[in-house]
Amino acid sequence: MSSTRSGAGRALVAVYGVFALAATARSLVQLATKADEAPLAYALSALAALVYVAATLGLAEVGPAPRRLAWAAVGFELVGVLTVGTLTVLDPELFPDQTVWSAYGAGYGWLPLVLPFVGLAWLWRTRPRG
Amino acid sequence: MDGPLPLVLIYASLAFAVVVLVYVALARTPDWGLLGFAGLIEAGTLVLLVIAGVQVGNADLSGGATVTLFGYLLAGLVVLPIGFVWSLAERSRGATAVLAVTGLTQAFVIVRTLQVWS
Repeated sequence: MSSTRSGAGRALVAVYGVFALAATARSLVQLATKADEAPLAYALSALAALVYVAATLGLAEVGPAPRRLAWAAVGFELVGVLTVGTLTVLDPELFPDQTVWSAYGAGYGWLPLVLPFVGLAWLWRTRPRG
Repeated sequence: MDGPLPLVLIYASLAFAVVVLVYVALARTPDWGLLGFAGLIEAGTLVLLVIAGVQVGNADLSGGATVTLFGYLLAGLVVLPIGFVWSLAERSRGATAVLAVTGLTQAFVIVRTLQVWS
């Protein structure tokens, strides 16, 4: 079994770490300064932040069952970006303020859309065999 | 914040990322030169934080914008050290590439700092 945090995985963990840090900080500022303006969008931002933190920890092999945590978090991330992306494209008024997954992450250079595919591919490639 | 320092930091961070990618392509491991380059960017970011701290009283920023501004500047201080710790714990191309992610993040952080300021 290969480690998810070695080789290319090390750079992947770094990218996830940046997203975890950015999403968490952004979410805290939103919730602290204007939580009542767009509760749904900001709750979603907080959820996305948790997912990125979980994916980072899982891929970095922190905790008792990191691979399972990574599969769950990255899988949720994919469902999240596809669902929220589709909803926001169909009805831009649904979320009054931007979230990281709005319009499939177009505001973040499409990285939020690409990242879960890379994450799942990496988990599949390093899967335990035997 | 109106001087050339933010722009210099943005271009230096991007240049750092490019140099790292050359290292990755050549399968070279990070050396003291790379660490020194990052050290200069780190020192510049610290100076930017001090300048922002001195000038923020005269700037027309809301409370939220001020929190965001210093959040970005503090992130700019920790990104490079954390990136180096994570990268240097392993010798591989992927581990070296971590520093490219770090450089691009640093550039993005300074860009956002400038946007919040103006």
